[in-house]
Amino acid sequence: MGCMTTSTAVLHRLRAELGSRLSTDPAELQGARADRSGYTAPGMPLAIVRAESIADVQAVMRIATEWRVPVVPQGAATGLAGGGAGSDGAIVLSTASMNRILEVALADELAEVEPGVINQALSDAVAQYGLVFSPDPASKAISTIGGNIATNAGGLLCAKYGVTREAVLGLTVVLPDGRMLETGHRSIKGVTGYDLTALFTGSEGTLGVIVGATVRLRPIAAGTVVTIGAFFDTIVAAAAASAAVTAARLRPAVMELIDHEALKAIDAFNGTTLSASGGAYLLVQTDGGASVDEADRILAIVTGAGGTAELTIDPEVGERLLAVRRSVHPSLAARGEVLIEDVCVPRSQLAAMFGEIERIGAKWGLSIPTVAHAGDGNLHPNFVITPELALASGEVPDVVWQAAGELFRAALDLGGTLTGEHGIGVLKKRWLRDEVGTDSFDLQRQIKAVFDPLGIMNPGTMF
Amino acid sequence: MSGAAAPAGIVSGVTPTEPAAWLAELTAGVATWSTTDEHTAAAGADRSGTRQAGLPSVVVYAHTVADVVHTLTVAHRHRVPVVTRGAGSGLAGGATAGSTAIVLDLASMNRIVEISPVDGLARVEPGVITADLDRAAAGHGLFYAPDPGSVAISTIGGNIATNAGGLRGAKYGVTRDAVLALDVVLADGTVVHTGRDTVKGVTGYDLTALFVGSEGTLGVVVGATVRLLPRPKGQATAAAYFSSVDAAARASVLLATLGVRPAVVELVDGRTLAAIDDLRGTDHATRGAAFLLVQTDGFGAIAEIEVVAESLRQSALSVEVSADAALALALAAARRDALPAIEARGRVLIEDIAVPRSRLAEAFEAVTEISERTGIEIYQFAHAGDGNLHPIIVIPPGFAATEIPAHVQAAADEIFALALRLGGTLTAEHGIGRLKAAWVEREVGPEAHRLMRGIRALFDPRGILNPGTSV
Ligand SMILES: Cc1cc2nc3c(=O)[nH]c(=O)nc-3n(C[C@H](O)[C@H](O)[C@H](O)COP(=O)(O)OP(=O)(O)OC[C@H]3O[C@@H](n4cnc5c(N)ncnc54)[C@H](O)[C@@H]3O)c2cc1C
Ligand SMILES: Cc1cc2nc3c(=O)[nH]c(=O)nc-3n(C[C@H](O)[C@H](O)[C@H](O)COP(=O)(O)OP(=O)(O)OC[C@H]3O[C@@H](n4cnc5c(N)ncnc54)[C@H](O)[C@@H]3O)c2cc1C
Repeated sequence: MGCMTTSTAVLHRLRAELGSRLSTDPAELQGARADRSGYTAPGMPLAIVRAESIADVQAVMRIATEWRVPVVPQGAATGLAGGGAGSDGAIVLSTASMNRILEVALADELAEVEPGVINQALSDAVAQYGLVFSPDPASKAISTIGGNIATNAGGLLCAKYGVTREAVLGLTVVLPDGRMLETGHRSIKGVTGYDLTALFTGSEGTLGVIVGATVRLRPIAAGTVVTIGAFFDTIVAAAAASAAVTAARLRPAVMELIDHEALKAIDAFNGTTLSASGGAYLLVQTDGGASVDEADRILAIVTGAGGTAELTIDPEVGERLLAVRRSVHPSLAARGEVLIEDVCVPRSQLAAMFGEIERIGAKWGLSIPTVAHAGDGNLHPNFVITPELALASGEVPDVVWQAAGELFRAALDLGGTLTGEHGIGVLKKRWLRDEVGTDSFDLQRQIKAVFDPLGIMNPGTMF
Repeated sequence: MSGAAAPAGIVSGVTPTEPAAWLAELTAGVATWSTTDEHTAAAGADRSGTRQAGLPSVVVYAHTVADVVHTLTVAHRHRVPVVTRGAGSGLAGGATAGSTAIVLDLASMNRIVEISPVDGLARVEPGVITADLDRAAAGHGLFYAPDPGSVAISTIGGNIATNAGGLRGAKYGVTRDAVLALDVVLADGTVVHTGRDTVKGVTGYDLTALFVGSEGTLGVVVGATVRLLPRPKGQATAAAYFSSVDAAARASVLLATLGVRPAVVELVDGRTLAAIDDLRGTDHATRGAAFLLVQTDGFGAIAEIEVVAESLRQSALSVEVSADAALALALAAARRDALPAIEARGRVLIEDIAVPRSRLAEAFEAVTEISERTGIEIYQFAHAGDGNLHPIIVIPPGFAATEIPAHVQAAADEIFALALRLGGTLTAEHGIGRLKAAWVEREVGPEAHRLMRGIRALFDPRGILNPGTSV
């Protein structure tokens, strides 16, 4: 078989150039087939390379180009869309070991990092200077900055402080043919030519491999952090309260919604009784010089909208309230495989989208616990594949796809998008064209071809 | 044949004498257009102080998306260059047009279609004047953050096409950060929608960001959904004079380490202060050799300005603080008057480099050195908060209005080289246009340039959109 000889030759070359950074250990290859989306790629990757330098990445790409072998870039594989899952016959190119912080420039409030630096590790390193790396996906303790950039990750704070794109000034990228490219600059502004930095941000490893980044840091907000937790009878009432907060032109740092199904899951996991206190929970945090004043106004709005609220300036209590939000995912994961969806709608449609989720859950007989970044209209409806639902094949049951499809269509009909922060990956590509339209879809494919004429960069992801 | 429904003051054109097949086809499908020299001459110029050879063949005053689609369809079929135009306030020659071109003027597409306070967004046509949108947003307690010095004259479409910055950029970002979605007519007349009405979204590549800053070379923006933010409550101003630009620049850099986020940090050099005194009869230059204006806003404005003033006092000759709007306006005069005062000295070439903030003092000093060595008059002011420096070169008298004298260009080239050497960029917000096109590859490198050209060829295979501009 021709491909056998090809793979043998490719492995030979990879081993010659990368030595111990190459692995073909079956258990490791097996592990590289999945990310945290619940998706496992069919077949088996050819090899894993754990790059330690830009030269390693270039070597892999040159070999891949020469032999037309697909390459799947991978960070920490915490992705929720299947984009980093090693596909059949591909070289999985991990940048996780390229994890040095190369420079912190205080006066310029920026850092130069390698792609494998863990998000939280950068914030930890600059905390002593009163700075923080703003993008804060809930996975910040485990995901890499390269992966955050490749997915344009969001987080709890992004309604106020922006998503990853806003924090990236420049990138170093290895193109599919092994050539190196620098985009952007160290200045905050710059409009020379097209914005390739923005194009690579969110490109999910389909245009090139990110091997370095210049990222912005921001001062840790001064002042007291004030936290408000409020119970509501229904999720629709809680969503309306959050909309009232933004309509009052207030911009809390955090504003999270948790629905009743999710509260029940947390109770089951933690032994708490939150779900008895109300049908939905709203969590708000303000920061900065005027945080107390802002929190007072928010409290008035929240109680006026029917919420039973508590307010605290005690950082420990605040942290405990936030921990409730963070425990949603582990609570659900304890029940079965979790498919985390990621629709985003205009803020005014948040309550309507919650209504749609309830309708779709009832129609398909599924429980869809949902949390939302209310400040930016981003909802995470979760499908939990409990043992009763699970298929022997390990694949996602059809009923879940049917319900998810309806969910996406509902989000689009409300003027929204099917993914607010996790990306298209493998799992959502069947809906990409529906959202962007055929002309835009074709343009995007052609843009990919400009960067990757041979189609070896993460094929199967996004398109 | 003459067009109908011309905007006030516009006389529609007559069929030209030269038998250009495309012109008849073009003008048959749009309501308002002109081929008279008076109109084509005006439509072929921007505020860069440069012109192209010859006059454009025709200017189309688009009122609808259909006008734009028709214009591009005809231009594409006949391979005629099209220069899209907002208000023509650009400083890089991007909206200048020469012989045979069609100028596609979008200034009349100026409706604010919708303002949604709950979603914090507005839907606008491209010809809306920037300040008009901000005013309309104010009615809902909101504001449109990007505020180029040209807010009163520039269009949102032009701001998007140049990714315009402004005074408030240090805190609120640039135009790109404010654009959520676009309607764009591509070179062949196809209409595409990019982005979405949501604050976040990562479906596919970020085509919206690609169009922002593309200077009319990838398509014509015919509609935009832009983000509106809560109008900041409260504002406070500090105005300080320093004994040198160096001291002022260093003080501005220190502000970044105080944990406050000023909305405006503007620096004006001594030479400019003297020019303002000449123009207005003021006494800025006697008060110091550099001026720094800092504004904070939001609930914490006053607390923040106290922190700022405290820091400035360490090195300033004097610091004045006010939370009173009228007084603040007076304090800001030295910044507002800077450009008019320099323009009163002669024809100007406005440069627009950015450097990492920490290199700002160095950049000022190096530009001064270039000025002293070459004897060319260069004034400087800066959006110091984001490291954006505007060296303004006054072109000596005696040169044609279409010409940039060689020694002036040489000084400009030195300034560009300086920006790159300091890790910055040759244009922070005005764009490449035509004036800096020769420099793109030096900044971005051959690899990135090749990719940008590849993207351009993909969107515009016949090369009809703003040829000679940008990449
Ligand atoms: C518990 C949990 C909570 C989460 N919360 C959030 C959240 O709040 N917000 C959010 O946005 N996401 C969230 N995620 C999703 C995920 O953590 C993010 O998408 C993260 O950015 C992925 O980083 P990673 O290093 O794990 O990348 P991977 O999963 O390894 O890869 C993700 C994608 O990026 C590509 N990629 C990775 N590295 C590179 C590189 N160097 N060059 C080019 N392409 C590359 C991959 O090919 C793949 O397409 C969560 C995940 C989990 C498990
Ligand atoms: C006094 C003064 C102060 C200024 N201050 C600033 C400042 O602080 N910050 C800043 O960034 N700029 C500033 N500028 C420059 C200028 O105002 C901006 O570049 C502005 O964004 C241009 O808008 P416009 O509508 O005049 O566009 P034009 O000058 O008409 O066009 C500019 C470019 O955009 C393209 N274009 C215009 N409309 C569209 C469209 N709808 N679709 C596609 N392409 C289009 C044109 O082809 C051209 O390449 C200043 C200019 C002046 C005269």
